Amino acid sequence: MNEKIAPHIEELTRALGISRNQAQEELEILLNYRVPLDEAKRTVIRKFRYSSGSTLKKIGELSPGLSGIDIKGRIINVKEKNVNVKGKRSVIYSGVIADRTGACPFTSWDDHPLSKGDAVYLKNTITRIWNNRLEINIAKFSSINLLSDNLIPPVEDLLEVLEKKIRDIDISDLFVTSTVVILKMYHRNIKEGDREMTIIEGVIGDETGKLPFISRMMDIDIGDVIRFENASVEVFKGLPSINLDENAEIEILHSKLDGILTFESVSRVPEPTRIADILNKNGVFDAVAIGNIISVRPGSGIINRCPECNRVILKNTCRSHGVVDGIKDMRIKIIIDDGTGPLLVMLDRDISETVYGRSMHVVGEMVKRTMSHDQVVEDIQNALIGKYLAVRGNASRTDFGMILVADSAWFPEDDLSGRIDVIYEKLSLLEAKLNV
Amino acid sequence: MSDREVAQRVFAKEFNDSTLSIESGSSDSNKNIGRSPNFLVTPLGMKVNRLFAVGVITEVDNIGTDNDIWRARMVDPSGAFTIYAGQYQQEAAVFLSGIDPPVFISVVGKARMYEPGDGSKFISIRPEAINRATDHMRDRWVIDTAELTTERMDIISDLILLDTDWTGYFDENGISSDIAEGIRIALEKYNTGQDYLREMIIMLLECLKSVESTEAESTKDTNEKIILRILNEMDQGRGVIYEKLIDAAKQHGLSEEEIDEATSSVLSKGKCYEPRIGILKPV
Repeated sequence: MNEKIAPHIEELTRALGISRNQAQEELEILLNYRVPLDEAKRTVIRKFRYSSGSTLKKIGELSPGLSGIDIKGRIINVKEKNVNVKGKRSVIYSGVIADRTGACPFTSWDDHPLSKGDAVYLKNTITRIWNNRLEINIAKFSSINLLSDNLIPPVEDLLEVLEKKIRDIDISDLFVTSTVVILKMYHRNIKEGDREMTIIEGVIGDETGKLPFISRMMDIDIGDVIRFENASVEVFKGLPSINLDENAEIEILHSKLDGILTFESVSRVPEPTRIADILNKNGVFDAVAIGNIISVRPGSGIINRCPECNRVILKNTCRSHGVVDGIKDMRIKIIIDDGTGPLLVMLDRDISETVYGRSMHVVGEMVKRTMSHDQVVEDIQNALIGKYLAVRGNASRTDFGMILVADSAWFPEDDLSGRIDVIYEKLSLLEAKLNV
Repeated sequence: MSDREVAQRVFAKEFNDSTLSIESGSSDSNKNIGRSPNFLVTPLGMKVNRLFAVGVITEVDNIGTDNDIWRARMVDPSGAFTIYAGQYQQEAAVFLSGIDPPVFISVVGKARMYEPGDGSKFISIRPEAINRATDHMRDRWVIDTAELTTERMDIISDLILLDTDWTGYFDENGISSDIAEGIRIALEKYNTGQDYLREMIIMLLECLKSVESTEAESTKDTNEKIILRILNEMDQGRGVIYEKLIDAAKQHGLSEEEIDEATSSVLSKGKCYEPRIGILKPV
C-alpha cells in the first residue's frame, strides 16, 4: 500500500508545501476510511490549498470566491465585535481596507488585531459575498504584516467619498457624504462588551428618498437638517444604513439655510416607483409600488410561528428551537406586476385581513372546515387575482429575489382621464415626428 | 430562485401580429439556470413570455375530443386574444366552463405560438390564473397598455428616423438589454417601419376612444347625481315627498320620465330608501 501511494504523497508535498509526514498522515486517514485515492487527494488538496502559493492583487481587481489573495493597503476603519462562533465566544475585527484602486470591507476571524490607519500586508485571504457585498476574509491560515507607513498613501488620498442624494446611495457605497433631514428617531440602550450605552436609531431623508441611520451623537433631534461627510454605509436587512459614528464629520445646519429641505417636504408619502426601477437596485427603503396582483403564492393564509424567534414553522418544529408551541398568525404572499417587472410582496396579518376582506378567525375556521390550506389560497386567488394594489414598505434582495415587506397596502384610485390626455399628447407628437 | 418573467401588457392586435419567437434571454440569470424561457417577439419589439390582460370573454367553446380543452375569445379594444385551457390548466378550464359570456375577466398567462406546418402561425394564451374583473379594471388596463406601447413606439421611431448608432442610443437612454434585444429584432427581422407605426397610432387612438366613452359621464349618471343632491338638500330628517322631488328636479330641466328612471335607479343602488310609500330618504 505504501509503495502505491508514495508518488502521490510526493506530489502533495511538493504542490502544497507541507511536510512529507503531514501529507502521508492526512492521506492515510482518508484511505483507512476506504475513500478512493483520487477523492482523498482532492480533499487533502482542498484542505491545504490556502496555505499554498498566493497572489498579490489590487483591491479594484477583486471578485467574489477568490482564494490565496495577498493585499497591500491601509485600514480605513475597524471595529471590534464579540461573536459566538460554534458556541465559542470570540473577538472578530471588521472594517474597511483601501488601496489606490478601491476600498473593500474585511472581516478578521482569528483574533488578528488591527487598528485604524495601519498600513498592512494581508497574505492568503479569501473573498466572498456577505450581505450582498464583496468582502475580504482574513482567516486562520491568513497572516497580517505591518508595512512601513510610507509605503501606502495616506487615507485622504485613498478615499474619494462622493456626495450623493439618498436615492443614489447603494450598499456598494462604503462611505458617503450628504445633506438630510432627521425624520424619525428613538434612543436605545445597547451593551457593547461590558459597557452599557445609548445609541440613536432612526430615519433620515431628502427629497429623493429615505434611509435608516444610527448615531452615537446625542444632540440631534427630529426635524434637524444635518450634513454628514465620510459616514460609513452599513448593510441592515439588505438595505444601506448610514452610520453617523465618530469617524463621520457631522454638522447641524440651520434649517433655514437650506430652503428646499424641510421636514414637511421630505416626510410625504413617496411617489410610486416603477417595479423595474426597484428590481434594478439592491434594495429600496420606503418605496411605493402599484401593480396588478398576478399570483398568490403557496404559504399564504394561516401559518405558525416559533414563539422564540418568530420564524415560520412547520409541524410545530422550529429550525433553531426544536419542538415548540407555535403561535398562530396569518400572512399573504403575492406577486404584483406593473408591466415593467414582478415584485414579491409580503403582507402581514393586519394588511392581509384588510386586503383579503376576511379576518384571521374566519380563515382559521375555513382551514378547520376544509382541512386544507390550499382551499384558502384558492379563495384568496379568487378575491385578489388581477386587482390593482398599491403597497408601501422596504424592498430588499434575498435568496428568494427582491421582496417588499408591506407597511401598508391599499386599492389605489387613479386619474384615468388625466393619463389619457398625456397619451393623446404623446401620440400627436409621435405622428408629427413620422410626418416630417 | 430563477428570475420571474415580467407580465407584459400588450394589445391583442400587436400580440396577434407576431410571427417570431426566440429562445434566448439576454439577462444573465437565464444563462445561469440553463433553462432559457421562450419569448414571442412582437413587431413593436416586446418580448412576451408571460402577459397580463383584461378584456371581455365573448365566446367559450369546449373543443376537446377525449379531454376537455376550453377555447375562449377575449376581446380588447384592438382585437381578440385566444385562450386555450386544457388538462394542465385545470383551474382556468373550470373557470371558463362555468361562465356565461359576456364577462369581464383578467388573465395571467404564457404566450404560445402554434405552427401547423403550412406556414401559418396561431398565437394564443395559456392561462396561469384567471379571474373576474370589472369595466373599470379593463379601462385602466387599456391605459396602462397604451402608455407602455407608446413608450416602445417612441424608441422605434427614434431609431428609424434619427439614423443613430443603436447601442449608443440604448446606453444613453438607459434602456435595459432585455428591451433593447426585442427592439433590435423588431427593426431587423420585422423591418418595422413608419407604416406599421402609423397603423399602431390609429389603433391606440381607437383604444383610448373606447375608454373615454365609459369614462365620460353618461346623462343617466348626471341625472342620478342631481336627484341625490336634491334629496340631500331637501331632507330635514324625515325624508322627502316624491311630488316635491319631482317639482324640484323639473327646475333642473329633467323630464318626469327621466326623474322616475333616475329615482328608481338610485333606489335600487341603495343610495336612498323609502321609509313610507311616497317618501324618499337619502342614506
